Amino acid sequence: MDEFPLAPPSAGGNPAPLWFLVFFKTLGFALHMGPMHVWFAGLALAAVLSMAGYGHARRLARRLVSAMPVFIALGVNFGIVPLLFVQVAYYPVIYPANILMGWFWFSVIPLLMLAYYGVYYYAVSIRRDRVGPLAIVAGVVSAACFLAIGFIFTNNFALMTNHEQMLAIYDRTSVAGAVTGLALNADDPTVLPRWLMVLGLAMTTTAVFVMADAALIAKRETADYRAWARRFSLVLQLVGSAWFAAFGSWYLFGTLAPATLAAARADLAITVLMALTAVGPALTFAALWMASRSGEARWVWAAVAAQFVVLALNAVSRQWVQNVELARFFDPARLPVDTQMSPLIAFLVTFTVGIAIIVWMVRQAVVALRAQKA
Amino acid sequence: MHYPFWYVPGLTAPMLIAIVAVAHILVASYAVGGGFFLAIEVRHAYRTGNHAYLEYLRGHAWFFILLTEVLGAITGVGIWWAIGLASPLPTSYLINTFVFGWGMEYVTFIVEIVSAFLFFYLWGKVPALVHQRIGFIYAWSAWLSLVIITGITSFMLQPGAWQGNFWLAMANPQALPQIMARTGASLLLATLYVYLHASFRAKPAGMREMIAKRAGRPAMLGAALITVGGLLWLALLPPSALMAIEGAATLNILVALIFVISGTLFAMFYFGAYRNPSWLSPGFAIVLLAMGFMVTGAGEFVREAVRKPFVIYGEVYSHNLMTAQVKPAQTEGFLQTGVWTRHHVTREFPSVMDESGRVVSARLLELSLPDKVRVGETLYHHHCGSCHALSGYSGLRGLLRGRDREMLRGLIANMDRYHFLMPPWSGTAEEAEVLKEYLATIALPHPFRNGGTVRRPSGPARVDAGDRSHTGG
Repeated sequence: MDEFPLAPPSAGGNPAPLWFLVFFKTLGFALHMGPMHVWFAGLALAAVLSMAGYGHARRLARRLVSAMPVFIALGVNFGIVPLLFVQVAYYPVIYPANILMGWFWFSVIPLLMLAYYGVYYYAVSIRRDRVGPLAIVAGVVSAACFLAIGFIFTNNFALMTNHEQMLAIYDRTSVAGAVTGLALNADDPTVLPRWLMVLGLAMTTTAVFVMADAALIAKRETADYRAWARRFSLVLQLVGSAWFAAFGSWYLFGTLAPATLAAARADLAITVLMALTAVGPALTFAALWMASRSGEARWVWAAVAAQFVVLALNAVSRQWVQNVELARFFDPARLPVDTQMSPLIAFLVTFTVGIAIIVWMVRQAVVALRAQKA
Repeated sequence: MHYPFWYVPGLTAPMLIAIVAVAHILVASYAVGGGFFLAIEVRHAYRTGNHAYLEYLRGHAWFFILLTEVLGAITGVGIWWAIGLASPLPTSYLINTFVFGWGMEYVTFIVEIVSAFLFFYLWGKVPALVHQRIGFIYAWSAWLSLVIITGITSFMLQPGAWQGNFWLAMANPQALPQIMARTGASLLLATLYVYLHASFRAKPAGMREMIAKRAGRPAMLGAALITVGGLLWLALLPPSALMAIEGAATLNILVALIFVISGTLFAMFYFGAYRNPSWLSPGFAIVLLAMGFMVTGAGEFVREAVRKPFVIYGEVYSHNLMTAQVKPAQTEGFLQTGVWTRHHVTREFPSVMDESGRVVSARLLELSLPDKVRVGETLYHHHCGSCHALSGYSGLRGLLRGRDREMLRGLIANMDRYHFLMPPWSGTAEEAEVLKEYLATIALPHPFRNGGTVRRPSGPARVDAGDRSHTGG
């Protein structure tokens, strides 16, 4: 195997220590996953329920789609954080991975645009109570676009840590040393199970949203619908967990390099982390079960919190796997660091002020809505 | 070079950045100026108790969200996508330099998104004062986002004496002029969007006329800011950028067009919609907005083009090489200096490698002619391909029309002297030789040479261009 052609370190050095960059990358990814999951699995679910469902099922599809614009806005914007920090800390590997599948990577933008406007069209049709075939087609196309975007992302991030595959794609698809950008990382056996595993986890997150919606938001719906939605949430969570377990096992035991698994077994903390990541959805299920039986808001919030823990565990586990896979040919810790202390402090201050402003606005909204109900 | 090169036939990869970026600017300007319009007008409607106007503004806010929070936000992300693909080295350089600037901009952007949605979805559900405050939070966070991003993009044109200092980099000589001009453009473009929406949706006519009048005021301020910011921009341009405007025919024409269309646009806006609000009609509004798009698009093209031969002035050349790396590349070889070019040559042409895995430039001359051409093609992609497609945008085949080998040799060795918008040749003499061989195969023939003829459409007269050149005709 040829040595991987790593770009030389950036002239100015990394602007912050690696732990700082990785912390924000992982935190941002955990935050991104919540809303992203709802559109990833939720929109596909809504598309299926719109076409094949009836009664409450169709009602749920409409509620899912109505909430989708806000989820997409939040998910896309939370996704910028990990992408920013991955480009700071892992630039010698992320750019080659992007470029090697250039057209596919670039296609994420028009696909996202199409999906987003499709969702808006569907959501507005619902708001105006004029859901025709075109609106349903828009929903189906949007769902397909989001699934495709997820597949491209999985390809890209799997490629980033697979130097053999990067070189193979370059050698196979370049013309006179220039990349055509027409390749996917399809030969990588981890891609398919990884993409499907995320779909399973996304179902569990969508299940939490369905429960929260039924218990806390959908007050104007009939009691019959809300009871049905709570039951549906449990079923969806179970199916998602089973799906996650099946494809997660395939990914972990069927496709990951033996050395990666051995490294996980050799470190007790990582073994525990992996085990918690695997059984995490059970914790969410327990909270959802309680919420379904009691109908109490506190159990719904417990389910939301549990799911965030599940997503955070998942983000940390993935980061660990990424570190191990990259360590074969690239060590980000060896990049020079020249910490920009005053800009870092200014960022943290801005971050705090920004959070405070958002909290104030949301609080105003909650107070106003409560007053309206009263 | 240090990253794989993405070949985009007919267009070049950086032109994808231009397409996405111009689309983004056209919408993002509205996101900033429109935010102020909505905040100020909602306050006015509350204060005057004009419920009909408030209802109209609600509809406008929906149009605003659909455009700015979807198209605007995604094209903004799209710029990230495109720059990482087309110019990874300067992107990495910028991100490492400004990551906390982007972090701060990101925070303002999140505040912007949340406030935009709350502003719309809480319409009529929160007290008027809270609603107005949320509107102004949106407007100021959008403007702060503009300030931070302009600080970074203006750095690319003239970093100034920043010496690695983030704050000095943000306060570069071009920052203030560009912030003024962009703020002005946001106010002006937002007015044109408002005109468009009002011309279709504002009823009755009295309300439409009121909007035409009220929305015209920020546009006047915008025009003043554009003028002052634009003049400052011009005064503080680096000398080479001024020369670029003088020296490139396309830029001459675009600058002239910017002045002509801006003047016409302003006259139509002032004497039309502002002084005679009843003139505001859908057709008139569409023409105004189209002219605004043309001026903005042309302005963005000029702003980007005057940076050449740099992507980041004085720091990174347009062929994805740091300025400090040119000398080593000239000594050790372009193919050897770039990690991906070296990998390619190692695999395809092992005979030019030495035992330690280095590319020996002198051995390139020992290759067969077809292999020299192939290596030359690799050099073309990595050295020239960011600015020149083969055919199409700035196509080399046409640009090199009629150049023989001797001329090509001179051109490669002195490319920055032939035209200062090009970077210096950044390889060895042997690499120049193989690039020359490749370019000779793609250059189109001269229309009047090599047996070429010119026929007058109406008659049999025949001019042998070759003969004419001998006689100096």
